[in-house]
Amino acid sequence: MLILSRKLGESIVIDGHIHVTVMRVDGEVVKLGIAAPAEVPVHRKEVYEEIQRNNQQALTKQSATLPKLAGVLKKKPAVPTAPGAAVPAPVPVAKKAAPKKI
Amino acid sequence: MKCAEMIETETPTVSRREAVRLPNGLLGFEQIKDYVLTSNPDEEPFAWLQVEDNSSLAFVVMDPFVALPDYQPDIPQADVEFLKLKQPGDALLLGIVTINEGETPTVNLRGPVIINRHTHIGKQVIIANAVQYSVKHPLPVAESAE
Repeated sequence: MLILSRKLGESIVIDGHIHVTVMRVDGEVVKLGIAAPAEVPVHRKEVYEEIQRNNQQALTKQSATLPKLAGVLKKKPAVPTAPGAAVPAPVPVAKKAAPKKI
Repeated sequence: MKCAEMIETETPTVSRREAVRLPNGLLGFEQIKDYVLTSNPDEEPFAWLQVEDNSSLAFVVMDPFVALPDYQPDIPQADVEFLKLKQPGDALLLGIVTINEGETPTVNLRGPVIINRHTHIGKQVIIANAVQYSVKHPLPVAESAE
């Protein structure tokens, strides 16, 4: 593992296009600003690990007995859109490589 | 992409069986890429994401909008492009259910499996607003089993 020392406001550059900047240091908390292209996912490691663990717990056999849910959940929610209404337009605005707070 | 206004047009009345490919697998199961999504009207709102290798391993899944009607997952742009989603209606969202025998079943609303309905290619996506939702959203069970 590469270990670098950085001061407040200093950055590192990864692969020429991912910039990680120390935004703030407050006791044990370090705030990092991450500027990365939209196609580079950035997540807290613990969220990844939490989902991995949850998947491992969820894996089951096809013979498993399904729980019986309270009646309210048996049906799909009413669609709040008039029949025949157009599907809403997508909102896939490309995210700028703005610093992400994590 | 916001999927809050996803419109569910199909009410399944027959059993269905569709091949689904997750090129990246599921988190923790990266090597398992081929699945079959099966649903049966008797088992609503649950469906099965079965591992396509005769191992009889499977995940129980459900429409996350049934679990939480005002669920508003924000799908990161990179995933929208990976899945080639052109409009919200292209995406089929599945929440992975943990049965937790003897305890409250839960559904993962932080990392839904999102499948392109046209290409049948999917991915487990960590939504951009993951902090607003739980990986173990409780599902209310019926008071007494019939």
